Amino acid sequence: MDITPGGSSGGDVASLLGVGPGRRADQLFYSVALVAGLFVLAILGLIAASTTHEAWPAFRSQGLSFVTSSTWIPAEGKFGALAFIYGTVLSSLLALLLAVPVSLGIALYANEAAPSRIRRPIIYVLDLLAAIPSVVYGLWGVIVLAPFLGPNVYSPINDAVGGWPVIGWFLNGSSGRSFMTAGIILAIMITPIVTSLSREVIATVPRAQREAAYAMGATRWEMIRLAVLPWGRGGIVGAIMLGLGRAMGETIAVALVIGSQAGQVTTHLFEAGDSMAAVIVNQFGEASGNHRAALVGLGVVLFVVTIIVNVSARSIVARFDRRAQGV
Amino acid sequence: MRSSLKSLALLVAVLAVFGVVAAACGGSTSDSDAKPDSTYDYASLSGTLNGSGATFPKAFYEEAIAGFAGVAKGVTVNYNGTGSGQGKKDLAAGTSDWAGTDSLVADADKATFKGPFLYFPTVAAPITVSFNLSGVKSLNLSAATLARIFTGSVTTWNDPAIAADNAGVTLPSTKITVAVRSDGSGTTSNFSKFLAAAAPEAFTLTAGDTVAWPSAQSAKGNAGVAQIVKATNGAIGYVDLSDAVASGLAFASIGNKDGKFVQPTLEGASAALAGATINADLTYSALNAAGADSYPITAGTYIIVYSSISNPTQASAIRGWINYVLTEGQTIAPEVDFAPLPTALRDKAIAQIASIQG
Amino acid sequence: MSDLFVSTESGELLLRDTTKRSRRIRNRLALIWMVGSVLVAVVPLALVIGYVVIKGVGQLTPDWFTKDLPAVTRRAGGGMGPAIVGTLLITAVAAAMAVPLGVLGAIYLHEYGGRGRLGRLIRFMADVMTGVPSIVMGLFVYTVWTIAHGLSAFGGALALACLMLPIIIRTTEEMLRLVPDELRQASYALGNRKWRTIVTVVLPAAFGGITSGVMLAIARAAGETAPLVFTIGAARNLNLSIFNGPTTALSVQIFGNAQTPFEAAQARAWGAALTLVALVFILTILARVVAARVARRHNA
Repeated sequence: MDITPGGSSGGDVASLLGVGPGRRADQLFYSVALVAGLFVLAILGLIAASTTHEAWPAFRSQGLSFVTSSTWIPAEGKFGALAFIYGTVLSSLLALLLAVPVSLGIALYANEAAPSRIRRPIIYVLDLLAAIPSVVYGLWGVIVLAPFLGPNVYSPINDAVGGWPVIGWFLNGSSGRSFMTAGIILAIMITPIVTSLSREVIATVPRAQREAAYAMGATRWEMIRLAVLPWGRGGIVGAIMLGLGRAMGETIAVALVIGSQAGQVTTHLFEAGDSMAAVIVNQFGEASGNHRAALVGLGVVLFVVTIIVNVSARSIVARFDRRAQGV
Repeated sequence: MRSSLKSLALLVAVLAVFGVVAAACGGSTSDSDAKPDSTYDYASLSGTLNGSGATFPKAFYEEAIAGFAGVAKGVTVNYNGTGSGQGKKDLAAGTSDWAGTDSLVADADKATFKGPFLYFPTVAAPITVSFNLSGVKSLNLSAATLARIFTGSVTTWNDPAIAADNAGVTLPSTKITVAVRSDGSGTTSNFSKFLAAAAPEAFTLTAGDTVAWPSAQSAKGNAGVAQIVKATNGAIGYVDLSDAVASGLAFASIGNKDGKFVQPTLEGASAALAGATINADLTYSALNAAGADSYPITAGTYIIVYSSISNPTQASAIRGWINYVLTEGQTIAPEVDFAPLPTALRDKAIAQIASIQG
Repeated sequence: MSDLFVSTESGELLLRDTTKRSRRIRNRLALIWMVGSVLVAVVPLALVIGYVVIKGVGQLTPDWFTKDLPAVTRRAGGGMGPAIVGTLLITAVAAAMAVPLGVLGAIYLHEYGGRGRLGRLIRFMADVMTGVPSIVMGLFVYTVWTIAHGLSAFGGALALACLMLPIIIRTTEEMLRLVPDELRQASYALGNRKWRTIVTVVLPAAFGGITSGVMLAIARAAGETAPLVFTIGAARNLNLSIFNGPTTALSVQIFGNAQTPFEAAQARAWGAALTLVALVFILTILARVVAARVARRHNA
């Protein structure tokens, strides 16, 4: 038995006290802690099992058309979720497009360029942004942002460039409640996460790298480009993917501003659509039978997709961590 | 810093305790001045009646609940606006005591109920076709044009079909945004049934509580549809009169069976009700009614309850509530833009109350 | 890069920036991008909080906290008492379930599991669980609890507890890691068993940090809507029962009222938003204050 009292397993020393009055208490405590830890596995397993079981009738009756067809007509028993999967992906990608430049800019500013007096207020502002519940963002989005954007931003853009090739494929439509508005709200919501994770990554860049760049006469931007970004690339990608996972799972804010229009598989960003999570929360209340199973099925698809994104993100970040520690 | 944190925490705790105590003692105030029906003993009733269902009559039921609370202090009535579809399901499952619905129970679903049930017509109202179009204050729409708009064949406001109904009016080229219901709705059922009856060649979809509208934004409840129309220039949607008036929307005049364009008013609704055939179970349809003054999209709504209720106190409470709706309620109805029932129908409904056993 | 040169005017030795102009421009543009990003982030925060405060503050009368929800939803009147109590009650029950489980789970991970296979698996799964969308938690609880037991505050609390659990496990484990091993060894040297060491030495030492993490998890849970929508139902009157009957919460009220066109209902939504944001901010700021005090004590 290892006697060295090192790290977190210092209990080896204590368990040298092989006999004695407190031994059963020790074992009991260990068991309780173990069970608590196993709860995580149990709950996760139960989530996967119960939702898949509930959704199975829908998967069986629809087969592959559940994810390849965009015809969702509950009254006729047709459940094709393609348009909703598309809406989730589109609004999340838009969110990334808007949030990543801003988040990176804030992270770099806070770590590299900001005077130390401004650094802490910036972090507070981000904390506050992260603390606002998503339903409040949704409320602001549906009452303030969407009615403003439709006539004042989307319509003029649509009138100006909607007919042009390529750019007109995207900047088309005029609805305040649309993929774009959902993307904007999501961008506001994921900025704090991407920023704080990027900041952690950027902070681990060794000073030696920075000083080497300066020693060669680099400007601050060149130092960032040559020393910080290449070093932190993996971690930043991981941070971005975590933001993507969060955006895909967001329900309430998107449900309020995306317009709830079925069947929309379109590149027109200013048109209304729907997302998986929004469909679930809007239709679940009065669904039954196969309709309910199909909605739980949407939840399963969402669950699987967000887990894949999150696990990939964490493995990228972990690989970056190992490299950063010189392993 | 520590002491100010402590006093902040103390303030929050005091507020919380105060809130819990006061809320337990308090209750909602009734601000209705309805005259009590002096011949009915409301005061002796007691119990809780949970209801759910259609949002079409929700504004009326809420007023009636508030008024009823004034005369029947022992009864609490709740109503959750979840849509006609969910209302019928809740009653069938036994999780509610009464259901509000604008559409009848489908034959296939009758077996899911725990026993026989009764329809009580309560009020009727026009389903408005509300629109929001800058520069256009009034609009005529024939049933065929309306069907084409909602099936997606007509996509811009200056389409020739709309122009044909509105001679002399300049219509902008704005894109039409169609607003419909996302939940199972009796309003949808009545609106789509009207289109199917009045414009069968143009309306190619299947009528019912849910319709597969091809390209429309959707929302929950009549209020949700009203919200889309109110917030979007170029929007058009079907909303019950009460919610449309409360939202300040503009209504289109719809071409009725006699070829006249009629505004959605209570008079138009009453004219449509006057000629409707009443079935034995007190259901009726006032859609696409004949008569020059009839508003063609007039819908009635019902309260459904089981005809046999196990708990006698509960049964009395239900009888009292329905009686209130059919007596005082009828005077309250026009105040919130609902048409009271024609006298003959109302008397038949009051007579049916005695059939609630328990 | 700069070098010395002789000024032609005064004859003094001066430093001059000899960096090429294009590089300087790019550097300046990058700075503009970075500062601009900060402003772009501040603007929506200011707008959202501004609207919430301005539109919501008029609702906060004493009636707001005590009265039941109004019978007629499109008219002003009544209050949000049942929703405020509902939010507090459901979040408290969720915390009562998630905090002990989370802290014990973190204790297992750090004090016993370490780098073993089971420990790594649990840690990995806890990370995965933080990414599960809250609506999936709501569907899960609906499937295993609400269908069998009906709508109740407890169902909502279960869903929120599932959301809070992984957050509490991770933050608690971080805090346990910060407790220096010397403390543990000193306790063993005095003859304490492991469980006593954990309970009487490690936990008190990590207490501030754990509290901070728990408060952040509670703040996050209090603002959640999706897990509550199908599990707690809707109620107009106060319902203090945890297991019986539907209830309501601030977040669900905001969601419902945001989907109506009526001024009075929307005003109630703004007021509820202000109440909820105030609650969440208070918890977040308290958590930060506690964390700062812990950090100060560590560095002192």
